[in-house]
Amino acid sequence: MLGTLLLAAKAVEDVKAKNPILPEGKEILWASIAFVIVLSLLAWKAWPAVKAGLKARQDRIAGDLAKAEEARVEAESSLEDYRRQLADARTEAAGIIEAARQDAEHVRQERIAAIDGEIAELRARAAEDIRLATERAMSDLSTRVAVLSIELAEKVVEHNLDHDTQIALIENYINQVGSN
Amino acid sequence: MPESSRIEAYANALLEVARVEGHLAEVEDELFRFARTFEGNDELRMALSDRALPADRRVAVVEELLGEKALQTSMALASFVVSSGRADEFSQIVDRFVELAAAERKQAIAEVRSAIPLDAGQIDRLREALNRATDKNVEVKVIVDPSVMGGIVATIGDIVIDGSVRHRLEQLKEQI
Repeated sequence: MLGTLLLAAKAVEDVKAKNPILPEGKEILWASIAFVIVLSLLAWKAWPAVKAGLKARQDRIAGDLAKAEEARVEAESSLEDYRRQLADARTEAAGIIEAARQDAEHVRQERIAAIDGEIAELRARAAEDIRLATERAMSDLSTRVAVLSIELAEKVVEHNLDHDTQIALIENYINQVGSN
Repeated sequence: MPESSRIEAYANALLEVARVEGHLAEVEDELFRFARTFEGNDELRMALSDRALPADRRVAVVEELLGEKALQTSMALASFVVSSGRADEFSQIVDRFVELAAAERKQAIAEVRSAIPLDAGQIDRLREALNRATDKNVEVKVIVDPSVMGGIVATIGDIVIDGSVRHRLEQLKEQI
């Protein structure tokens, strides 16, 4: 390495001879030696600390990533749970709605059956009322016809009961009572 | 006094007066007919039973109705009952009086309703027929009642022998 530096210095001197802004060969040598020393000191003392810092940072980042992954997994799990619960809730809601619909349908059918029964009963009652009213009307009509017939008969009899007929009725009565 | 006792007392009074006056049969017959007229005329019954009407006015009505048609005794007895305020019981008193008189003769009263008057022969034959039918000695009291229409209705106590046209029409109405 030193040989390389000497060669470099020789080259610099060769170049210096040509370029006035280049440093002296010794200056380059000592600067190189100091650089190497500083580099060695850095490699000996600072590099492990830097390396440890990097390692810690890497570990922290890895930990953070692991935590993030864990959180992501947990979030996905929660999301899955949420979705499952949502699906369950939807299924349960659908069940409740279906049960309510079935209950409503059952109630509707029962009400329809009850109303049908009531209607049938009302019809039967109305039919019975009509039958009774008809019978009553027929009975009233018969009675009225009978009364009118009798009244007519009375008038006919009154007009036809002359004195001879009256006498005959009285004689007939006396004979019948006497024979009994 | 209970109504039945009062009627009995009045009937006995009528019987005694009629007997004393010696016209029992006539008085009995006239009062019986007047009682039937009284029964069948609501206006007359209400007028004679109206105690708000002065007694002399009620008696005047009786005298006007019986007047020359009846014996003085009959008119006096009817006036007595009416002026005593017992016109509403007049028919019952007279009926009881007739029953008592008939009972004295050991007879039962046959109230006979006919649409036309009966002659004496018909009344005799009817009495005989009713005697046989009821096994009683009946006295026939004839009432002319147009509502029977034809035939006869005889009532002896609780026994009713109805041979009237009205009764036959009623039976026919029930059958129809």
